Amino acid sequence: MIVRPVLGVLERETLKLLRERGRLVSAMARPLLWLLVIGAGFAATRGAGAAEYQSFLVPGVIGMTLLFGAVLAALATVYDKESGVMRMLVIAPVAHHWIVLAKALGAAAVAILQALMLLALLALLGYVSTELSIPLLAVGLIGTAFTCASLGMLIAAWSRTLENYATLMNFVIFPVFFLSGSLYPVQMLPDALRLAAAVNPFTYGVDLLKHAAIAGPSAAFDPDFSAVLDLAVLAGFSAAALFIASLRFSRETAYEPLVHRLAGRRGE
Amino acid sequence: MNGLAIRAEGLTKRYGDVPAVDGLNLSIPAGSFFGLLGPNGAGKTTTIHMLSTLIRPSAGEAWVAGHSVRTESLAVRSSIGVVFQENALDHRLTVAENLRFAGRLNGLSSREIRQRSDELLELFGLAGHRDRPVAALSGGMRRALDIARGMIHRPRVLFLDEPTIGLDLPARRAIWRHIGRLRASLGITVFLSTHYLEEATDCDEVAFLSNGRIVERGAPGPLIAQLGRCIVEIETDRPAELAKRLEPRLGPVLVEADRVHLRCEDEPGALLQAELASLGSAMRWRRPNLNDVFLWVNRAQTDRRQAA
Repeated sequence: MIVRPVLGVLERETLKLLRERGRLVSAMARPLLWLLVIGAGFAATRGAGAAEYQSFLVPGVIGMTLLFGAVLAALATVYDKESGVMRMLVIAPVAHHWIVLAKALGAAAVAILQALMLLALLALLGYVSTELSIPLLAVGLIGTAFTCASLGMLIAAWSRTLENYATLMNFVIFPVFFLSGSLYPVQMLPDALRLAAAVNPFTYGVDLLKHAAIAGPSAAFDPDFSAVLDLAVLAGFSAAALFIASLRFSRETAYEPLVHRLAGRRGE
Repeated sequence: MNGLAIRAEGLTKRYGDVPAVDGLNLSIPAGSFFGLLGPNGAGKTTTIHMLSTLIRPSAGEAWVAGHSVRTESLAVRSSIGVVFQENALDHRLTVAENLRFAGRLNGLSSREIRQRSDELLELFGLAGHRDRPVAALSGGMRRALDIARGMIHRPRVLFLDEPTIGLDLPARRAIWRHIGRLRASLGITVFLSTHYLEEATDCDEVAFLSNGRIVERGAPGPLIAQLGRCIVEIETDRPAELAKRLEPRLGPVLVEADRVHLRCEDEPGALLQAELASLGSAMRWRRPNLNDVFLWVNRAQTDRRQAA
């Protein structure tokens, strides 16, 4: 019974993604920019081989696509609150925690779709090794996407408008990306930054992707943590984030503030 | 469910100490057309939100299609359709995609959605627009689509919260034609809230809400008939003065802006007509309607408050 509503949310998210070409193009351009331009630049200043550092960056930029894709899709829930869509969701005969879960699944799905497109592009450019582990890649993509989507839902549950969009970019998405193992191995970071990376759930997502050895086993940099630890952190964070977002969401819908805004006026 | 689509007992919603809806009792038979009338701020929307489980009553209880709004919210939501004051549509999706999304949320299969979308789009005159994005539709078409959206799962009770607000006259008429057809073909219960009182004339029963309380209820016909056969309106720049002069001779009068209203058992005779016309800048007489019922109920309320 719950399958169809969840499917409905997934369908809508996918339709929206496919219709917004700009979102797709920037989802491909951003990671390629990091990989090809900044990756080459960093490698040059470090004096290491450019190819080696770029190989290291591959899981990081795939993680980046998942992070941006999932968080932005989940944040679109705020747009749903402002437009009529949330009215459709709250009046449906579906418990509100299922709506939160369905939105998170939808955001994760569109993020994975973007990551798969990027992977195809990277394969064409020769950055994907034939020795990669498909099961680990699948687990890494799903785990990271779902964790980022849960993070997005957590933010969306507290956001009233999309006006603070730039703030969210600067204070959530960029720090989460920079303070992870995406651009540099975690063990090479200074203590304070290493601690920040260690409490950042996204670090474990990227680490899991490193386990999949997308750019080949010969990549010079090993993962920082075990795959089991990575998965445990991702699952734990997602469950906690969705639980809190559901609490907040049902309090808001069943107990007024959201309903009043949805009704389009205050006072009555 | 005893033939009742909606039953409410002492339904109350307070915000702080202020009651928005105060001890509402309702019993609405299945299949009937009920109108909740009153000015903005009277508590109409709060009532609909309580009955559709979106907000929790502070006191009292209500049953919709036999299910408690307090303890069986999912069962209530699957047996009702709600059309809010503002559209519940995704403007970036097409007409058909919106219906599909709403159908999915209500647990329908693809086949059911296709079949019912076809029926509803036909009924609402949108059959030629199924692949247009909602953003490209006129206000009237969006409203029609929104009602179709509320009907996709064939609810037994349809709540319409000010369904024609913001629409021009032709669009309003079209919406009422659609709702009439919907009632005729499906036999659903319709719960309407509106402040366009003339739109409630076809209701089986109406209730006037004022400050969260029902101040008058009944079938529109008898409510209108009890006002007499004729309302005389005199336009004047000193309404209060004129009211005072006329009241002892012609019975209760009512002042509305620059007009004095009189109730007459019959059309005024030629002599009275000439006299009344000479008192103000303009005079006309007409059959009473639901607006008059509302004005006279309000006048009675004001009198009672002043007496207290």
